[in-house]
Amino acid sequence: MRRLIRLVLLAALAVWAWRYAVGVRRPAERATVAFPDGSAIVLERGSPGFERLAAEARSALGR
Amino acid sequence: MNASSALEELVKLSGQVERAVVVDANGAVLGSTEDDAAEAQRLADAAGRALAVGGELHASTEAVRVEIELAEGGLFALREGGRTIAATTAPGATAGLVVYDLRTCLERIDAPKPRRRRVKVQEPPEEGDEA
Repeated sequence: MRRLIRLVLLAALAVWAWRYAVGVRRPAERATVAFPDGSAIVLERGSPGFERLAAEARSALGR
Repeated sequence: MNASSALEELVKLSGQVERAVVVDANGAVLGSTEDDAAEAQRLADAAGRALAVGGELHASTEAVRVEIELAEGGLFALREGGRTIAATTAPGATAGLVVYDLRTCLERIDAPKPRRRRVKVQEPPEEGDEA
């Protein structure tokens, strides 16, 4: 039983450390689009339109 | 100040902007930080397409600003007064500061001067001519 608890704790610690490391290294990817009426929308990875905007940004960034 | 000088100053002062280009309402490049004209046009085209894609997300109007922040860097495009300024940045740029710098740069660029037209002024007939 103690072995099992130790294993679960180790797994949880490993998952937390991995997520922490990845979260710190990778900046948030998002796109903001603003309109003349003052409104704006923020798109995050996975939302409709984001990938099309990201593709345009990548084409501008890739030299 | 012309577009190229304003862009040079932008890159020097901003610290976040790597490359930038200004285009007019017809998509013609007015100034760029790029030595290669094809690269400048590529950046301008990508920014124009990003603004067009952004406009498609809103049914009634076109986009005036697009900020795309990715892990590999950022693309910013701002349209004001018939001109568009576009810039790329390194990853993790502060979006608000970049937009402020781009807007300031766009304001520094002189508006194109209207063409002066010569108007022929007709001289009034002399008093003696009527007789």
